[in-house]
Amino acid sequence: MRNLLNFIIKYSTWFVFTFYVLISCILLVKSSDNHFSLYMSSANAIGGAIYRTSSQVTDYFGLLAVNQRLQESNAKLENEVLNLRQQLSQYKVLVQDSSADARSERFGYVGASVINNSIRHPRNHFTIDRGTSDGVMPGMGVVDQSGVVGIVDATGKNTSRVISLLNQNQHFSAKIKNTPYVGSLTWRGEDPSIAFLEEVPRHAKFHIGDTIVTSGFSTTFPEGIDFGTVMGTVKTSDDTFLVLKIRLASNFKTLGTVRIIKDSLKQELDSLKNIGKYE
Amino acid sequence: MNKSFISYILLFVILVLIQILLLNHIVLFNSAVCLIFIYFLIKLPLNLSPNIMLTLGFFLGLFVDIMSDTPGLNALCCTILASLKKPVFYAYEQHDDQKRNVAPSIGTMGFFNFCKYIFSLSAIYCLLAFFVEFVNFSDAMQILIKAGASTVFTFLVILAIDSLIYKN
Repeated sequence: MRNLLNFIIKYSTWFVFTFYVLISCILLVKSSDNHFSLYMSSANAIGGAIYRTSSQVTDYFGLLAVNQRLQESNAKLENEVLNLRQQLSQYKVLVQDSSADARSERFGYVGASVINNSIRHPRNHFTIDRGTSDGVMPGMGVVDQSGVVGIVDATGKNTSRVISLLNQNQHFSAKIKNTPYVGSLTWRGEDPSIAFLEEVPRHAKFHIGDTIVTSGFSTTFPEGIDFGTVMGTVKTSDDTFLVLKIRLASNFKTLGTVRIIKDSLKQELDSLKNIGKYE
Repeated sequence: MNKSFISYILLFVILVLIQILLLNHIVLFNSAVCLIFIYFLIKLPLNLSPNIMLTLGFFLGLFVDIMSDTPGLNALCCTILASLKKPVFYAYEQHDDQKRNVAPSIGTMGFFNFCKYIFSLSAIYCLLAFFVEFVNFSDAMQILIKAGASTVFTFLVILAIDSLIYKN
């Protein structure tokens, strides 16, 4: 016993070193465990407070650009409202049915601002200033005025961590607009404005400049939200699928205000998915 | 002793804040980042017990990790750096009892030795951090360029800060 104690004391540095290295490696590998990852992420109480305070100061520097973008999207939305109003008045004459209105209310939005953002890692995250007290839950989609930017990952009381679209481990279900061709959108690192649409069927028809949108196959995003535009194809060794190079619509260097998408049918759809598992 | 203890705590807090609020968002030429928080490990006196040194290193890295959403990455690299600090120091300096209890700086080591010392530690740290983070060795050239650029950036900023704080 005495010898053992002496041994431990003599080589204590090695034990301490091994212990810390082991903990770090466990953290590195098991970073996706949800409950634990909240405390290990910038969405925890201290991190949220620090980033909130700093963004209160730094937000002023980007106001001009944010204002400009908001005005642009405002103008776009106003046009769309006018357009839709016109269409609606035409249809109201034809149809006396209100069931279409109920379906349009499936998705709701919560506004949020980005208080910490990163683009230099291979697996990027950003932090927003909305949490469980605003009804934000892990798994919700996040968009900005130009398109999809990420998926909520861990939520604290007033802050949440979002897996950025610029995260090599995250795949998004996407399709070429106005076609049935679906693929998996991933970022491969390097350029924060370029992503790749993988597993597109070889016979898919598309043109350079075509828009890539969400497929609507998940409860995370409604159908038809922009990802970006097609830049061209990439040569691959696989003959059965195409890989398209996509220029992303959102500018991840200057993420300011975003919206979180709430799906009122999420619980229902998720429980339907689970039914098969009990058989 | 007490005074230097408080100044080390201050240094820890200030460096971590500068890193997460400012330098994490600055990427020069799409590759060079400045990892300034390792300056805390560089400044720790050499007569500090190795166990305390490793513990401080681990928690320094862990705190930066939590705030920049890279769990485990900096904690691992800082622990390894803390263990390599002493051998690197004695690679450039003779074993001298007078120098053991003071923080390494330009004044105590001389300009060139101090440069070599911080450049070696920055290089070790950047190489480790980028290889651990990018994992795959297929684009090793890209990682080497990034690590190299970051080493130079980190080295210059640390040198600048050290020469500003410690006049003679």
